Amino acid sequence: MVALIAVASMVPGLLAGLQSSGIDYDAVAYRTGVILAEDPGWPVDPPWEMKDQYHKDEIERMGLAVSNETPNILLSTKIEKFFNTSFFDPEDYRSKVIFGEIPYSYNITLRSLDWTYNHKVGQETPEGYGYIRRVVKIKEPSVAVIDEGFRNQYTISPGDNSTTRTFTVRLDFSRLINLSIDPAYRIDPRTEPVNITITDFSEYLNKTSTPPIENATLKDVTFWGGSLSFPFPYDTENPDLYTLSLDGNPYDLKPEAPVESNISLVLKPAATSLFPLDQNSILDILFTFEDTDYPHTNITGIHYYDYNTTNVTRPALKPAVLEVAIW
Amino acid sequence: MVNDSGQLYTMEGIAAGLVMLLTAYLILSTTSIYTPGDTHIPDMQLEQLGSDVLAMMDTPDLEGGENQLVNFINAGDGNGFRESFLEYCNATTSGKPDTLHMSANVTYRGEDDQIKEHLLVGPDETWTGRESAVRVTRWVQLDQQSTRGDPYRSRAQAVLVEVLLWRA
Repeated sequence: MVALIAVASMVPGLLAGLQSSGIDYDAVAYRTGVILAEDPGWPVDPPWEMKDQYHKDEIERMGLAVSNETPNILLSTKIEKFFNTSFFDPEDYRSKVIFGEIPYSYNITLRSLDWTYNHKVGQETPEGYGYIRRVVKIKEPSVAVIDEGFRNQYTISPGDNSTTRTFTVRLDFSRLINLSIDPAYRIDPRTEPVNITITDFSEYLNKTSTPPIENATLKDVTFWGGSLSFPFPYDTENPDLYTLSLDGNPYDLKPEAPVESNISLVLKPAATSLFPLDQNSILDILFTFEDTDYPHTNITGIHYYDYNTTNVTRPALKPAVLEVAIW
Repeated sequence: MVNDSGQLYTMEGIAAGLVMLLTAYLILSTTSIYTPGDTHIPDMQLEQLGSDVLAMMDTPDLEGGENQLVNFINAGDGNGFRESFLEYCNATTSGKPDTLHMSANVTYRGEDDQIKEHLLVGPDETWTGRESAVRVTRWVQLDQQSTRGDPYRSRAQAVLVEVLLWRA
């Protein structure tokens, strides 16, 4: 009799275990979706996406949101890091975004409606899995494009015979980290790359000489805070910290190389974090041109990297869809 | 007359008591049975999706830029609202787009401060299948705008957008 009762009482428990599994997966997928879409992750300062291979263990939670005030607005740098499967392994995704004691299988995908983002991690989905879909927008980094439109503003006055030309791009953190600006539209060099592109550089060349010169020599690019030059590995190419390209060819920050038409510098947040900066600091990026015979370029002046739309272009937020499947 | 039958009854009573206690213990310790939740989960998924879409339509792509949701309501542009809403709603990362349908109405303060409803997007001819339809809402702030005509008129007001969403 006792044995019969014991067996009878175990049967519903067995069935309940089977029935509840579907409900469970949906809940885990929902939770994962919330972490990805509404949470910036942990730690935030410096943000988790800046951790390298040696500090991966310090990442506690991977969220993609720009900040906790802006649900569903995702940061492009967090997205690139999150979907980097050579950096994170399946166990990282389980322990830093899905959580729970059961080793769930997962498939997380993100696609912008214009197909510029199309990322995927995880395996193919089987029949029957927990699912959630979130509609989000992606925030991309700002770009300062200095084209010939600035020629009158950034050309040295005639009669100046010095052989060195410096052009400065100034980041005033007290202007940039402006709390009255919604984090969804804020320029924050601590979390996003700073992009400086000088196009139409030929328009800034010294055209008065005969024969007409075709290029100028970029001696170096240096970082300054006030009158102090920051120590930095200027002579090592490091795509994790910065990329500099002259006419499409990569260089370190001491190129001493001729440039004809195009200079492009991307300063990554990992580099900005090396400088002793706070919310009231000013970071100057100095482009120094020097030629041995006479100045080959007339570029000079200070370009402010700020919220002025003629100085800096902030891309529109990109609508996208995020899908999480768990089983 | 005293004999052993009383003792036997007592032992039987105690044994029966033990069996009853054991039974009660076994039943109570059994895992509780979940009620099948197959209608609530899709409801939650649809609700989350719908409120995401309304929130994203209410977020301008550029600082100080156009707010899609406000523009559609101001212009009374039901077709534009439906197309934009369903574009977000039915988008998937791979494979076929989803098959969601919607209707929408706007609750506002009319003349004489009467609460009125305006049908922004009428329902189409599809039926919902096994899953029930869900309702998602969002308060939208309309600014004072002299060129805005009926039904909201020019006054500044907060209106409630209600979207009914179903899978067909």
